[in-house]
This record gives sequence, C-alpha cells and structure tokens, in this order.
Amino acid sequence: MDIRIAPQMSIMDKLKILGDAAKYDVSCSSSGSSRKNDGQGIGNTVAAGLCHSFAADGRCISLLKILFTNECIYDCRYCVNRSSNDVPRASFTPDEVCELTMEFYRRNYIEGLFLSSGILYSPNYTMELICETVHRLRTLHRFQGYIHVKAIPGADPLLIQKLGYLADRMSVNLEMATAEGLRAIAPNKHRKNILKPMRQIQNGITENKNELTLYKHAPHFCEAGQSTQMVIGALPESDYQIMSVAENLYDKFSLKRVYYSAFVNVNEDRDLPALAGGPPLLREHRLYQADWLLRFYDFKVNELLTEDRPNFNTAIDPKADWAVRHLECFPVEINRADYHLLLRIPGVGVKSARRIVAARRFGSLTFEDLKKIGVVLKRALYFITCNGRMMYPTKLEEQYIVRNLTYQNQMGRGERLPFMTDGTTYRQMSLFDMAGFDDMQRVASI
Amino acid sequence: MEEKYLICEDSLEGIFTGIYDAYALREGHEHVHIQVGEEENLRLFATYLHILPDPVKTDKVANTLRTRLGEHAYHSICRAAASCYPDKGEAVYRTVVDALTAGSGSRVMENLRNPHVARCFELARFTANEAHFETEFLRFQELAGTETMKDSVLFSRIGPKNNVIPFIMPHFADRLSVENFMVYDENRKLFGVHPARGEWYLVTAGETFVLQNPVWSEKEEAYQELFRAFHQTIGIKSRENKKLQRQMCAYRYQDYMVEFAQKG
Repeated sequence: MDIRIAPQMSIMDKLKILGDAAKYDVSCSSSGSSRKNDGQGIGNTVAAGLCHSFAADGRCISLLKILFTNECIYDCRYCVNRSSNDVPRASFTPDEVCELTMEFYRRNYIEGLFLSSGILYSPNYTMELICETVHRLRTLHRFQGYIHVKAIPGADPLLIQKLGYLADRMSVNLEMATAEGLRAIAPNKHRKNILKPMRQIQNGITENKNELTLYKHAPHFCEAGQSTQMVIGALPESDYQIMSVAENLYDKFSLKRVYYSAFVNVNEDRDLPALAGGPPLLREHRLYQADWLLRFYDFKVNELLTEDRPNFNTAIDPKADWAVRHLECFPVEINRADYHLLLRIPGVGVKSARRIVAARRFGSLTFEDLKKIGVVLKRALYFITCNGRMMYPTKLEEQYIVRNLTYQNQMGRGERLPFMTDGTTYRQMSLFDMAGFDDMQRVASI
Repeated sequence: MEEKYLICEDSLEGIFTGIYDAYALREGHEHVHIQVGEEENLRLFATYLHILPDPVKTDKVANTLRTRLGEHAYHSICRAAASCYPDKGEAVYRTVVDALTAGSGSRVMENLRNPHVARCFELARFTANEAHFETEFLRFQELAGTETMKDSVLFSRIGPKNNVIPFIMPHFADRLSVENFMVYDENRKLFGVHPARGEWYLVTAGETFVLQNPVWSEKEEAYQELFRAFHQTIGIKSRENKKLQRQMCAYRYQDYMVEFAQKG
C-alpha cells in the first residue's frame, strides 16, 4: 500500500493544512490527569489543566491540535475534509508529529498533543498510524505530557485498548444528537459503531480503576476519561433532545465531558442550513451553561426543560430561568440553607457556596460579607435573605424578577455573554451589554 | 495608647520578622501595625520602629504558622506576602493574629467575615491567579550555546505584578526536570534558575542589572514561526472574537508571548 504523501511539502505547510483541518474539533482540555515527572524525560500533567494561549476566536489553545492526515474515505456533509471536497491534502509522518510536540512542549507553548485524523484507507490503517505516533512519543522521546487521541469508530478493539494505555484521554465524536440525524448527514457513520468504542473505553476505565486499587503501579488506562462532541444547529433538534442525550452519556457512559459545537456551514451544502447570523453561538452558550448545571449543580434535564418547553430561554440563563419558575423554593436563608439549596440560587456558584458554608461557622453572614465572598448580589438579591432580611424590599414575583434581570442586561450590568449575540431582540440588548464584558468569569479548561 | 508602626522590608522575611517583633512587644495587637517598605505619611502621636529581616525569627514564625495553621493556610499567607500591594503587611499580620490569638487556627482563611482575613484572602488569590497565568503563558526560548555552556538552556522573561517566581518554579522544575532553564522577572530583577536534574534556586540580580540581548539558538526562530502559524490557523474565522481573546489572555501577558510578537 503506498501512502500519498506529497513529498515536497514542508512541515510548515503541513502544519497549516492539518491544523486548519482540526480546528472544528472543540475539545481542548488538558485536565483530569495528574502525573509527576519521573526524571527521565520531559512532561507532567496538572489535574486542573492549563490553557497556554488563546486564538483569535477566544477559544483556548492548550494542546497541539492537529489531524494526522486530512485524507478521508468518508463523505460526511458537514465536514470540510469529506472525500468529495477539493481541498489540499497532507499527511504527517510520526516523526514530524513527535518533533513538533517535543519542541513546542519544552518552550511551554502547549500542554500536550491532540491527535485526530481523517480515515486513510481504513479505520484500522489510520488507527495504527496514530498508535505508532503516540507510542514513539511515549517511549522514544519519553514524553510525559498530556495526550488526547480520537478513537476511530470501526477500528479493531485491540488497537483502541493499546491506545488507551498510551493516552490520557480518548474521545469518539457522537456528531449528531439523534441516530436519524447522523444517518442523514454522515452516510458512512452509524450510531452503533460510535457507541461501541465508547462503551469499550468506559469498561476499560472501570477495570483499570479496580486494577489500580489492587496494584498501585499498574499502568493507567485513559486517566483523564473520555469525551465526545455534538454539532448544534445543523438539524432541527431541540435543546431538550440534545441535553437528554448529554445526560445519558454522563450517566450511562460515564463521560468526563460532552462538547457542543455551533454548526459552521463550511461546505455550503445545500441540504444544511445557511446560517445568516453566523454560527448559533447563543444557543451553544446556553447548552454549555446547562451542561455545567448537570455536572456541578445537581440539576436534572427534566427540571430545566420538558417536552412542552423544549428549548432554552434566550433572554435569561437556564439557572435563573429555573429559579423564577420555582419561586416556592425562595427566598433562601443564607445562614441556614444547606449546600445543595445554596447552589440553586442564581448568582451563587460552587466556590461561593463552599465559602458560605465554611464562613458561617464563625458567625452569621451579612450582605457585605457575601459580596466579599464573591456572590453576585445583583442577581442573587431577589432570591436570598440574610438573618431573615432581604437586601432591600423586592417582590417575589416571576414577571418582576425577569424584568429586573433583563433590564440589567439592557443597562449593561446584567448577564455577561462572551460574544455578540445573534438573536434579533437580543442584539439590541447586547449593544448595551458591551460595556461590562471585562470580568466575565474565566471558564477553566474548556 | 500610642499607635506603633513596625516598618519592615518588602519580603517574606521582612514581614515574618515584623510579626515576630509585634508579638515580642507584648502590648496586645490593637495598636500595633505592620507597614511594608518605607513609611509614607507620618502620623502624629505614633512611633515608628524599623525592623531588619532576621532569618532566625523568620524561621520561628514560619514553623509556628506551618504547624498551627497547616500547609494550606500557610501557603495562602505566603502568597499574600508576595503581593504587590503595600497593605499586605497589615493584612498578613492581622490574619495571623486572627488565627493564633483569636483562635480560628487552621480555618483562618475561611473566616471571611474578618475584613483583614478577607483582604489577605484577596491578595493571596491575586498572586495565585497570576502565578497560574504565568505557568500557562510564559514562553521559553532556547539560548545559543557558548564556549563554556554547550548544553541547551531555555530562557524566559516575564513581567508579573506580584512576586510569582517562587510559586511557579516548582511546577517547571518538575515538568522540565531534564532541562536547564531560567525565568527572569524583569520587574524585580530576579532569576529563578534550574540546572538539569538539579534543584532550583533564586538569584537576585541587583538594582543596576540590565539584561543584555540574548543570542538565540539556530532553530529557535523556526519553531516560533511554526507556532505562530499554528496559532493563526487554529482560530475559526466565523467565530472571531478579539475581545474574548483579550479577556482570557490580557495584553500584559501577550507582550511577552512569541505568538503575539508580530502584532506591531
């Protein structure tokens, strides 16, 4: 089998083509794995992950995110590398990938390698190339930094097993929330084939955990877990469908992360929507907010959305939306409420809830203290009391609170969105919103 | 009673010695204050005592804090002491008093109702955040070999607001254990130096030190070019958002990063 590598292509040209081809993969986290250096080579991993740079679109760059090759035998409609597209094609050699990774890493440009690939000849053939590269990096170069690789659906389970012992994180992209959607948009991919390696990796991780409790020095299998990604807005799926799928993946496949990727019509495919206002960023943002509520705030999808209300409110965030529809739970007394109830208050996050629980051991808290603790009072004040008093008299009434929360938006003091919004009613608000962008909380390791 | 101001050197040693002497006065803590650096506005009816840093007293205070407050709170206090704000002396001192004398002990950093503890917490958080950003954003460049030093040496120049080098060196010493590298803080003229497979240490360069333009190794420019190209291509055009980029990675860090060097 001969490999069609353009012989004259420089490593710079390859990096440009294959970096460009990899940019629609969202996952760039380097978290979840914590490993000390063994003194034999370079690298370690940090549990919280590190973002080494930020691209012009404001997304973090923590890994050298490249495709091994952008040659592909598949013809998925949404993908820029589909076989029917006439784009320049390139492939790295394993040594080139190793060199780039090592030299970037020691200069502190990156936290590790993210290696994905188009399907060259067959899933097995591609998977072997990836395996070879990662193996060389780990053994020949003794690289101990973070490695994230794609498991390619349809590849031999043995190869996936082998790769799992070399990589920190593996991922299989679900692509579309529903099986029908996937069939329509990616004729060569099947839901079943995607879920199979996902299940295999999950089982591998569970077995490895048991092994590690018995033998401390057993090799780690995907220490940082696995993740997946769904394209948002290419097909008419509701937020409810998408979030239910995500919840299932967290519960039944023990995924670490589900990523949502606002659809960009790169191929201008006539069967896919042409999005005049740009990619659906606001929708993506709401899905991520809800995703956080599932993972860190003990929310269930059924609490946020229902069959009759299948989409998120564009005007207020999912947590505030839940709160104004459940005013019977409020106001919450800050000095008495338990941790889980504190977490449900808009304007109180995981950190402030923990600090509140710790600080009130020393005496009762006032609104002044809450401010120092980091509670966003302009959002929380409608929902809390300190020692039985509200901050100032407000009505506990849905319309009133919503009006105030969105009025703050108009005055540039409300919810801070990380981008210009695309909804029409929202655009007017976002003009005012510009002033207060600056201290939007840094979302660690997206 | 008369207010007493202890003027300490702007360093961890200075502040800890000040705390030792404040306790040694045995006059309670209500009217004793610690000030870092120079006395600014002299007050009437106050005495000023100049405290010279003393390694023995520093060790005693450090050991007491370590054992009584635990590593976690101790590190928070060290981070606050590395802050760039002049009120850090008072904040750290009052926090120690809250822990040892008022009895909040190892939970002291949770007592955010106390305004001094809250300030100390805030200062420590700022230093910790900046140290975190520097571990992410500092860039090493490879120096050209010389007659005496043929092995490769990585060099990085940073300009942090707080004194973060002591907090970032352990991270890099572990990560790049087999490399020779140096981090230079140009605001404090302070070097963190790590010889390959050795222990790291600090070197103060002195007030008059001026950094000569370093000579980079042959391949250095090529890798910078490659990373700049990667940085360019990885962004998605239809999602461009410079504001978000700046928010996540402030200009004051970008000034030191190779991928933003071409900005002009």
